[in-house]
Amino acid sequence: MSELQVKNLRREFGNVVALEDMSFDVADGEFFCLLGPSSSGKTTTLRAISGLEELKGGEVWFDGQDRTNAPVQNRGMSMIFQTFALYPHMTVEANLGHPLRRDGISDAEIRKRVGEVAELLRVSHTLKRKPTTLSGGEQQRVAIGRAIVRRPKLLLLDEPLTNLDAKLRHEMRAEFKRLHRELGMTMLYATPDQLEALTMGERVGVMENGKVVAIGTPRDLYSMPDNLYVARMVGSPPINVLSCGDRNNEQVTLPFLKKPIQIAGLPSGDDLAIGLRPHDLSLADATGTGERFAAKIHLTEPLGDVTIFDVAAQDVAMKMVLREEVAAQYSVGDEIEVSFDPADLHFFHRESGQRMNKAVG
Amino acid sequence: MARRYREIGKAGWGYTLITSIVGLIYFSPVLWIILTAFKTRTDALAVPPKLFFTPTLENFTSVFYRSSITTGTSQSTDMALYFFNSIFIAGTSVGLALIVGTLAAYAFSRYPLRGNDTYLFIILTTRMMPPIVVIIPIFLMFRLSGLAGSYWGIILLYTAFNIPFSVWLVKSFFDELNPEIEDAARMDGASESRVFFKFCIPQILAGLSATFVFGLILTWNEFLFALLLTGVETRTVPVAMARTLGGEVGVDYGLLAAIVTLFLLPIFFVTFLLQNQLLRGVTFGTVKK
Repeated sequence: MSELQVKNLRREFGNVVALEDMSFDVADGEFFCLLGPSSSGKTTTLRAISGLEELKGGEVWFDGQDRTNAPVQNRGMSMIFQTFALYPHMTVEANLGHPLRRDGISDAEIRKRVGEVAELLRVSHTLKRKPTTLSGGEQQRVAIGRAIVRRPKLLLLDEPLTNLDAKLRHEMRAEFKRLHRELGMTMLYATPDQLEALTMGERVGVMENGKVVAIGTPRDLYSMPDNLYVARMVGSPPINVLSCGDRNNEQVTLPFLKKPIQIAGLPSGDDLAIGLRPHDLSLADATGTGERFAAKIHLTEPLGDVTIFDVAAQDVAMKMVLREEVAAQYSVGDEIEVSFDPADLHFFHRESGQRMNKAVG
Repeated sequence: MARRYREIGKAGWGYTLITSIVGLIYFSPVLWIILTAFKTRTDALAVPPKLFFTPTLENFTSVFYRSSITTGTSQSTDMALYFFNSIFIAGTSVGLALIVGTLAAYAFSRYPLRGNDTYLFIILTTRMMPPIVVIIPIFLMFRLSGLAGSYWGIILLYTAFNIPFSVWLVKSFFDELNPEIEDAARMDGASESRVFFKFCIPQILAGLSATFVFGLILTWNEFLFALLLTGVETRTVPVAMARTLGGEVGVDYGLLAAIVTLFLLPIFFVTFLLQNQLLRGVTFGTVKK
């Protein structure tokens, strides 16, 4: 059982608290993503788990043992760094073989295993070269190879795609999923990019200021975010956040709607922030289901297959996503009729950001 | 107005010519010295200086063997010893300073103390005053401790003078390295000493070469301390050179030029050997990968 348990990590840099009460578990063989903006503590967390970072408090349990104070060298983990961190003075072959050098493995065996890993990652043709002569994608694959050659039980990945261009990033996302399937090792992946977290992670932990604020499957985080912060972190384009006009218990008034909407089971009292995903807005059709309102197009962002419209309804700005063939009929300045299903609305407490309504359809 | 841009690497003959002329002007003193080394005494003193003459090796012979004025017999000078001294003293002290400096620089770079910058500044202050300011106390200290005139005395002094420079330069090279490479090595199982020797040092070899050559040039040409603190046995070439100026033979420009020419060779040789490393070392950090 190579389960990873991170308990109440604390780390400070001077007066800045980098990690505060950071806790989460990763199951054996799981692909777990840590999602958070820069300086939310993702890298510090990975470094703390690997032992590279000294902790002020908390425990790291791995494989049923307390590893909090174990030396970096003996934790049975590998890490892929944001900068790849290949050894510039060694050939690719020596880079890949280096993690094996310490275990008293024979040279022939090292060559064999380096060959296998190079094959797996399609870098066999670069073995005799120095890392600086490789392309970004090749360097990344060598970095992966060096991390997995020793078959670690846990692979830590620190924003490994940040230094690659968009096309390579797309390829490498698929590559990581393939590796995870083929090697079956536990992976902990830190990224600021919600797309990476949602496409690769079996579960995602969302981080804010040195804490995990929500953990869930990508589907849960998208469709049932626990709080406003998570709702904003997950989903692209980001969720529309509307402020509620008047509110009378389960009756909610939105400024651009003619009459209030009835939301069953909404706790009474406090002020609301209302979330509405750009994908949940659509052009009103003749059948007339759901709520509808008039809006004016201010900006269009064509992405090829879909187009993002920035619209305003009575001075409330929103984004919506339309299929390209539909969007092509409209241009900036046009008035359109927009509709949505009230069941798709997410209600949050305005101050605390906590979710207020239960299930969404 | 339309502007024409030149392709990089193709400066054209005009610019090349101008650069060659400027280069030649800068090189002319060295050229003059080297030419004079091959001239006879009359040729050396000729006005205007002769560009074409019959070269002679006489000056080079008399660097090492000179006929005595009183007896007329040829006898060996101590120049060979002085050349050995210069090489031994400069090489050892710059090497020592590099070793100590590199260790200190690594510590300053990777394990900063409270007030790290203050210590670095203090180290540098030792290079801020002209060396002549400290010559009297140092002379007295050397007299009292018996270091005056010994190899270890002058080596110790040169090492001390080279360390600040080495620390600063080498620290800047360490600072440039990607610390994630060291972390990767640690996770691969490397011990701290292995991280230093097998991962950090190989990455800054160019910088270390540059530091060594700069230190070597400074120390090689040092005159003041050598004059006061070396003895007959430990005298270095710059001091010996100065002594040939006044001595019993008057100013023999040919002889002096021959010594200077020989004196240039070791530095020239080291610089040439390390040339590629040196260029990379000098541009270290100024160009991002």
